Amino acid sequence: MAEKLSSNHITGSSLSTPTDSGIRGSRRERIEIVVRYIGNTMSMVEEPLYPIAVLIDELKNDDIQLRLNSIRRLSTIARALGEERTRKELIPFLSENNDDDDEVLLVMAEELGVFIPYVGGVEHAHVLLPPLETLCTVEETCVREKAVESLCRIGSQMRETDLVDWFIPLVKRLAAGEWFTARVSACGLFHIASPSAPEMLKTELRSIYSQLCQDDMPMVRRSAATNLGKFSATVESAHLKTDIMSMFEDLTQDDQDSVRLLAVEGCAALGKLLEPQDCVAHILPVIINFSQDKSWRVRYMVANQLYELCEAVGPEPTRRDLVPAYVRLLRDNEAEVRIAAAGKVTKFCRILNPELSIQHILPCVKELSSDSSQHVRSALASVIMGMAPVLGKDATIEQLLPIFLSLLKDEFPDVRLNIISKLDQVNQVIGIDLLSQSLLPAIVELAEDRHWRWLQDKVYSIRDAATNNLKRLAEEFGPEWAMQHIVPQVLEMITNPHYLYRMTILHAISLLAPVMGSEITISKLLPVVINVSKDRVPNIKFNVAKVLQSLIPIVDHSVVEKTVRPCLVELSDDPDVDVRFFANQALHPFFIGGVNSNIARAKEDQEEREKGEVSYVQKPKTILTNPSTTLLTRAETFSKDAFTLVRHANVYL
Amino acid sequence: MGVNSLPSESSNDLDEQIAQLMECKPLSEQQVRALCEKAKEILMEESNVQPVKSPVTICGDIHGQFHDLAELFRIGGKCPDTNYLFMGDYVDRGYYSVETVTLLVALKVRYSQRITILRGNHESRQITQVYGFYDECLRKYGNANVWKIFTDLFDYFPLTALVESEIFCLHGGLSPSIETLDNVRNFDRVQEVPHEGPMCDLLWSDPDDRCGWGISPRGAGYTFGQDISEQFNHTNNLKLIARAHQLVMDGFNWAHEQKVVTIFSAPNYCYRCGNMASILEVDDCRSHTFIQFEPAPRRGEPDVTRRTPDYFL
Repeated sequence: MAEKLSSNHITGSSLSTPTDSGIRGSRRERIEIVVRYIGNTMSMVEEPLYPIAVLIDELKNDDIQLRLNSIRRLSTIARALGEERTRKELIPFLSENNDDDDEVLLVMAEELGVFIPYVGGVEHAHVLLPPLETLCTVEETCVREKAVESLCRIGSQMRETDLVDWFIPLVKRLAAGEWFTARVSACGLFHIASPSAPEMLKTELRSIYSQLCQDDMPMVRRSAATNLGKFSATVESAHLKTDIMSMFEDLTQDDQDSVRLLAVEGCAALGKLLEPQDCVAHILPVIINFSQDKSWRVRYMVANQLYELCEAVGPEPTRRDLVPAYVRLLRDNEAEVRIAAAGKVTKFCRILNPELSIQHILPCVKELSSDSSQHVRSALASVIMGMAPVLGKDATIEQLLPIFLSLLKDEFPDVRLNIISKLDQVNQVIGIDLLSQSLLPAIVELAEDRHWRWLQDKVYSIRDAATNNLKRLAEEFGPEWAMQHIVPQVLEMITNPHYLYRMTILHAISLLAPVMGSEITISKLLPVVINVSKDRVPNIKFNVAKVLQSLIPIVDHSVVEKTVRPCLVELSDDPDVDVRFFANQALHPFFIGGVNSNIARAKEDQEEREKGEVSYVQKPKTILTNPSTTLLTRAETFSKDAFTLVRHANVYL
Repeated sequence: MGVNSLPSESSNDLDEQIAQLMECKPLSEQQVRALCEKAKEILMEESNVQPVKSPVTICGDIHGQFHDLAELFRIGGKCPDTNYLFMGDYVDRGYYSVETVTLLVALKVRYSQRITILRGNHESRQITQVYGFYDECLRKYGNANVWKIFTDLFDYFPLTALVESEIFCLHGGLSPSIETLDNVRNFDRVQEVPHEGPMCDLLWSDPDDRCGWGISPRGAGYTFGQDISEQFNHTNNLKLIARAHQLVMDGFNWAHEQKVVTIFSAPNYCYRCGNMASILEVDDCRSHTFIQFEPAPRRGEPDVTRRTPDYFL
């Protein structure tokens, strides 16, 4: 198969042309060209260019991964060829090579954007335009977008005369393209083409853009709407009010909502370019209409953009016209719209004065705090704390606190988290005393309640995450806090009738002990562990052995001798083989030999362990290290939740 | 019970093998051979009605869905901390029969007192040649030796288990040829699952809404009605028959007025049935808790919580 030419073959002097009439003819041509490059290159420098030979060889490989790899290193190939041959051979070759897979084309489009140095600098930049022009017309959107991006990058470095000679004609060709893909791409290039154009050409460009805004294909009109803001910024203000505003009005009345919603995005950009009075005259009515658009996607866009528009139109029209529009959006039928609107409530209130906010916005906020969609509540909770400084102390105490409290008790953890993590904003307004009186009791209650519930979850991974979380909390706040808020509650649960929950507590003890230190471990934790060494379930007993082993380095030697070791010795004589195994393993470190039968047995086991068992307890190998994402999400949510709750509670109390 | 029922020079190797298997990486043929030799010694000592103490977590079909078995351990707790009783059908259908059955056998060898593995109707030479285990062994080892080693070992798996003398656990169901547990205790199980007879029935039968014995649509075993279950439980002083063998959408399903329960532990069976899986925790007070679970999320599948509006077409 001719396509499987090896680079060894290529480096040979005879450059026979493959004539196989395969189905992938154009790739075959590429091979030829590449073969010639390589032939020439290799005849100049044999050894060091071998990797280049491989790269070029792979440009034609059937395996897309290899082609991709090679095209990603196009600059290496170009450097090897030199500037002139890159301009005269490589670039023309790439121009003709657009029948490859989209992935390869995408990389090519990207590479060409930074290719100016390899073709000899800015004065030769125009040679890069033809391959990118071709890529601007392909089917795949992301290839086209990348080609446009690269063209913009190159165009912004090109000399003005070159832009007029090469770039603007390219834009015009694309804009007149038969297939819509070319026209879509053209829209994204006007803001680069326009500034350096002479007056006549500028007028022509505006007229072409206006046609694109009325193109038959919605895809082209969408692209025109998307790029209108950028283009407008390069247009003299005299033409803004005439040409550009008329294009904008066309787009805002488009029958496709996908075009209209892109026009919404343009409102703010355009508004900032206009004088305030023109903005009020031309943009404001459009926004008011959009806020009542029949398509929820357009309204969603307005909800997202509205506060930016307020800045453009100024305070007075905002109060008069935009507040009613915003209130409508906060009460929209569509949850997605309410989510967008709720997320902007603080930003909006900052633009208004407190009276207007309290009068018009706050009633909506109250409604949203019990919205049926958890995502709406979550969006509200993520910003509502910021309203406190805006509304002032009295309104915060009277109006906002009850809303905070209700969101704090929300069943959806994200909502609660969003409130708790921004408590400090409220603290600044109403002062710590009031805050601790009103919110903190609820927070502490939540924090404590949640711990104990998670420690007794039916699912092992959740219990496991909960114990780790206790450890983190204890580390964060220290033994004294942990003695007050964690340890007693944890230890109480050792009497749970279910062995797996008792096991969780044992595990929690082994994690807490190093944090709590020797004294508390000896006085509070160790007695509990010793006590369950007489548990009826063997699984608990061998976990007692494991925990005791972990406590040995923490407690005094005398306690080890007096308490830990006798307990382990007893376990090492248990009827259950696993209990004996783990007890003996724990006895190993301080085993000193003796005639006691238990110890003799321990010794036997220990000798066997020395053949490799020793590391078992330190690194339990049967742990499944990757809990599934569902579990992780639950566990992490828990973790974040409890952690944040208690951190804040502790800071304020 | 000996002082060291475990040949301890091998327990380190075994721990490493278990760790490897937990990552879904199969053992070598040689390792499998040695492992199954040891497993055979342990399993041949077990009874046809293997006594099991509570607390224990009872599980149903796994069918080579290794990642869901890993999820099961994340839900129920890891072995040996949690005691397990598996009621058969470890192989066939799923993509990881080799890893699944090797892991369970390795755990059995390492912690024989903490895990019980019964025989299912798929633990058989004939069935595995049709439903995937044989092909998987060929694919993963290049020959049928590992399949031969495992199917020879399956002959030693106990057929039933009895938890605290009150929960009778088995893969399929009852048999018209068996009235008492002693009937089960008395026959020679070390053989390929026969086409008919009591041993076949234990691995193939299903409970049914109709009374009495019925012909099974499966072509092996029988269907048995509530009257049969009640009589059997009464005769043998049992509270419950726990069995697997049938796909149930919630992962567990009561039948015969809570005399029989079906437990199925392969979520989204065959990667397409959309069913939940479950396990049954019998705790040290002998109270029962079912824990349901869903398939372990597969790599590359996003965890979508809400729709993303497609603003840009």
